[in-house]
Amino acid sequence: MSSSHNSPDEPSTADDHSEADSPLLSVRDLTTTFATADGARRAVDGVSFTVDAGETVCLVGESGSGKTVATESITQLIDQPPGTIRGDLRFNGTDLLALSQPELRSIRGAEIAHIFQNPQESMNPCYTVGWQLVEAIQVHEEIPEPQARRRAVGLLNRVGIDSASSRFTDYPHEFSGGQKQRVMIAMALVGSPQLLLADEPTTALDVTVQAQILDVLAELQAETGMGILFVTHDLGVVAEIADRVVVMYAGKVMERGSVDDVFHRPAHPYTRALLACLPAYGGTNGGIPGSLPDPTDPPDGCRFADRCEHAVSACRTGDQPQAIALSDGHHVSCVHYQSGYDPQTVQEDGTIRQEETDD
Amino acid sequence: MTEPLLSVRDLTKYYSQTEGLLNREVGQVKAVDGISLDISPGETVGIVGESGCGKSTAASAIVRLEEPTAGEVIFRGGSRTPAERRDDGSHPNDVTTFDRSELKRFRRNVQMIFQDPASSFNPRQQVGDAVGELLAVHGMDDRQQRRQIVEDLLTRVGLSAADYDRYPHEFSGGEKQRIAIARALVLNPDLLLADEPVSALDVSVQAEVLSLIDELQQAFGLSIILISHDMAVVNAICDRVAVMYLGEFVETGPVDAVLTDPQHPYTETLVAAIPTPDPTKSRQQITLPGTVPSPADPPSGCRFHTRCPKVIQPDDLDLDHETWLAVHRFRQAIAAGSIDLDDLRDTAAKQTDEWSVAAQLRESFDLPAQFDDETVATAVTTAITHLVDGSPAAAAAVLADVFQTPCEATAPAFIDHGDGHQSACLLHTTDENSGSTDE
Amino acid sequence: MNDDTPRTFDEVDWEQHSDRGGVSVSRRLRMLIIGGTPIALLWLYDRLAVGQRERIFVSLGEDLGLSGLFSTLGIDFDPSSLDLLFVFTMLLFGAYVLVPLSQNPRMTRYYWREFTRNRPAVVSLGWLGVVFVGGVVGPFVIAMPEQNLLAAYQPPVFGSVDMAYVNNCLGGIENGRCHGTWAHPLGTDRGGKDVFAAVVHGMTVTMQITFITTTLVALIGITVGTVSAYAGGWVDELLMRFVDIVLSFPTLLFFLLILYIYGAGLGMFILVFSLFGWGATARYVRSKALAVSEAAFIDSARLSGASTYYIVRRHVVPNTASSIITQLTLIVPGFLLAEAQLAFLGIGDTAVPTWGELISSGRTAIDFAPWIVLVPGFALFLTILAFNFVGDALLDAINPESDAEVDR
Repeated sequence: MSSSHNSPDEPSTADDHSEADSPLLSVRDLTTTFATADGARRAVDGVSFTVDAGETVCLVGESGSGKTVATESITQLIDQPPGTIRGDLRFNGTDLLALSQPELRSIRGAEIAHIFQNPQESMNPCYTVGWQLVEAIQVHEEIPEPQARRRAVGLLNRVGIDSASSRFTDYPHEFSGGQKQRVMIAMALVGSPQLLLADEPTTALDVTVQAQILDVLAELQAETGMGILFVTHDLGVVAEIADRVVVMYAGKVMERGSVDDVFHRPAHPYTRALLACLPAYGGTNGGIPGSLPDPTDPPDGCRFADRCEHAVSACRTGDQPQAIALSDGHHVSCVHYQSGYDPQTVQEDGTIRQEETDD
Repeated sequence: MTEPLLSVRDLTKYYSQTEGLLNREVGQVKAVDGISLDISPGETVGIVGESGCGKSTAASAIVRLEEPTAGEVIFRGGSRTPAERRDDGSHPNDVTTFDRSELKRFRRNVQMIFQDPASSFNPRQQVGDAVGELLAVHGMDDRQQRRQIVEDLLTRVGLSAADYDRYPHEFSGGEKQRIAIARALVLNPDLLLADEPVSALDVSVQAEVLSLIDELQQAFGLSIILISHDMAVVNAICDRVAVMYLGEFVETGPVDAVLTDPQHPYTETLVAAIPTPDPTKSRQQITLPGTVPSPADPPSGCRFHTRCPKVIQPDDLDLDHETWLAVHRFRQAIAAGSIDLDDLRDTAAKQTDEWSVAAQLRESFDLPAQFDDETVATAVTTAITHLVDGSPAAAAAVLADVFQTPCEATAPAFIDHGDGHQSACLLHTTDENSGSTDE
Repeated sequence: MNDDTPRTFDEVDWEQHSDRGGVSVSRRLRMLIIGGTPIALLWLYDRLAVGQRERIFVSLGEDLGLSGLFSTLGIDFDPSSLDLLFVFTMLLFGAYVLVPLSQNPRMTRYYWREFTRNRPAVVSLGWLGVVFVGGVVGPFVIAMPEQNLLAAYQPPVFGSVDMAYVNNCLGGIENGRCHGTWAHPLGTDRGGKDVFAAVVHGMTVTMQITFITTTLVALIGITVGTVSAYAGGWVDELLMRFVDIVLSFPTLLFFLLILYIYGAGLGMFILVFSLFGWGATARYVRSKALAVSEAAFIDSARLSGASTYYIVRRHVVPNTASSIITQLTLIVPGFLLAEAQLAFLGIGDTAVPTWGELISSGRTAIDFAPWIVLVPGFALFLTILAFNFVGDALLDAINPESDAEVDR
């Protein structure tokens, strides 16, 4: 189901890429609603972003911001009902919401692959890792088992599992957390995906292991040129791997831009508050007081207004402020950047130390 | 100088591995293998290390949630009267020797916060009751009084008195950790152990909870032992830090000193792994080869030698450091059994030439085909032959003879770097006789 | 409270509070003792002081010198041991189920809301309520059905039976068929006993079986399961092997043996089947308790200085007990059916008017007087179905996981 109207969050796609070079993934005005006992819950409310081939886009936000739901909506991993997905989701130009179930299944796992946060829950403990890999391979390609086996071993090698052929016959519980995640990446690579949707894959891992996994992903991306949509709440990870960043809060996009823009010229108060939580940027900040708004009854105006120290009356009326383009590819949804307001009130609040670069 | 509040000496915790019908012991998992630590009143000490290094087990052993296998934990706080060591070597304030009633009193003085907020609370118990339960267990029968104390404490941790009647599932992860902090404080302890208190939380919530812990520490003069795998967390609120690897401490000292001037190669790795939230600066990543060895069979000498980027070359060997390191890695791979001969054979099968497997081995481990030193060349060649023939043990033995590093022969002792900063690494031993080491 | 009682946690002087050892008597336990003692005393009185033919309360009235008062109030009950046990189990139910529910009105309202989503379950609960009320109050209101050969095989009020089978017809006779009357709305059986009254008295028995078996199975099963899981080691091994024995025990044959040698009534039936029927529950509870014992809050409870008994009772049991509520509601139908089956085979307790007995007695008359089998049969069917529906709904309502969804 594609929507043909221009969404308020996406003034034009011309800013991000040229017409001829359509993005790998184009998400426009994605809205995912859940019917719950307490009413309709809008987990994702009008979110737009794109991912190009060979680039890594990070979807950042706290728990409850809707980033996981947004990712799962792309390949419709969400049960509909109780969920409902609306919007314009295009993969290489194809409308994902218009596909039938068999067509979706052939894309899922092949051209678009997922990796999830908890590898132990994503693997079946009853079967060996090798068996599961071979199964994944054979679902998408009709190749004889010995050949599938060889490919599986090759994949395990590629993701850095030592002595892959002997570990082929091991069960998931015989692997450490980091190794399990590598196996998950191997499974995701089975179909040579063009787009990888990674939902907090390193959150449950030690920092040292996290570093290794991020390296593996970077190598694979360099090799295959796949696009990666990486969901995380950890800005340190974002700084390391992102080309572009999308900051989400309570189901809406607060700020979008290149990683350089977002880290060195953060515009939205929420982004700035998140950065201030990091020791290198502020350190003394005790987190962001307050909590997420009720998803069944979101407030008028900007979703972040209740927790924002720069909120004015205009922030609490109407809809989420329209996204303003600060520079090519850098958009922010905040009234202080609209005409009639002074962005310096946000920029000079002293919460973070930042490099002031000449704009 | 005041005596430390808690002194841990050579604390050990081994788990037996049993086999067979009669549970015969076949080995021991040395989860914690002799750690020593002092903590003064009002101080925050961090224990940092990767998953599996034994830090959580150490915490459980200190509070006697699990019985330590050996060692002492001398506690001088709370209601304990200061005492001297007895003639037989035991100490009256040694937690490991407390009887039931002493242990129960000890529970008022030391409390713990756990990692997973989701399972930290009984889902069927209201959180106010969960916090007040500790008061009741220790004899406070007055229901009203308990309620008042708990409500006051809940407000101090950033929640409201009305939250008393709610159930754990009605709170977020960060809020549950706040309640856990309240629960840990309700008996007014002297020492708090926080086992990865923020690992399961979002980064923004982490900052909140850490700053709460810091605040409360200042307000109530608590001592804290903070356990984490993340140096950044330790850096945020700890005064001193102990770096743990495979059941032992490898470096201890003031946080600033350890982070800015790490003396142990493992500490360097951990420090380098802290992500810098600056996209322009790339991380100076130090990747450790291999995986953490099993605590059931820890490496000899310095436990880190199997993966250390600065492992010491024996000086009686005429070999440049790069090559020696390559052979060392080769040795570790053989020991870990991670060399995939089948795979190499498959690739070599195309050439149907035994030598190709050997050549491939050399290539994958960066071993040159020629060596200057005769002994070295023979050793390597023989070892490869043994390996190809399917006897890795023989290969290992041959290489061990020639390439043994002092790091695997001797377990390093702690060297003092001044101001309480100590590390256990042979690189710093003053009577070290190894020649040039590449640093 | 006076002014120098500490109001904050750091003002508490712990030296003052004595360390509590031993078991404190909770409010609930006191309630049980107060309620249970008269029952126990009555039972002892029955065993020791009252003869076979005498009625307990009549005898009691005489001994206390209150016979006049008793007879005016109509207190001439003669509760059997089973009845007394039934009252005691209801007391337990009240103390351990109703009291906690009333102490947490918010959770109770939540459970009720979740439960009522399931329509069939609500209807079933209604039916079970009818059976309960009928079983408890009925015998006082409706007299025990009496033999009356003149009223044998009377049809239900809107039905009719061929005159060939009936000696005497209380209703009108048309076309050679005897019609029913409101005097016997559900008809009568071979001996002229009113089916409606019999069904009501059967409700009592149904309720007795339900409560007593549930109590015994729950008590033994939960105790064995939680102790086994929490203690672990050889205690666990020993208890589980014992459970294996209990599970493989041929309970029916054992019961028949007792029946043959000593004779057995309903009470013995309930006792034997309950005492050998808790095995599956114990296993189930153990597996849940094992999972619970691993949770961090158990560690926290241990760190608080609580004793093992306290931890098992306050933390392990509540988290495992709720999961067996469904299991228990599904065990009850098994017992009810077993009783009916034994009665059908002719080896039930003929002295007690159970539904099974009624069905059994109507066996031979099924082609001309089907109501004798159908009415109690239908009641039994409805009851068993009701337990199943209620069990399902309870599982959904009480399950805490359903509420703790990770909010993405």
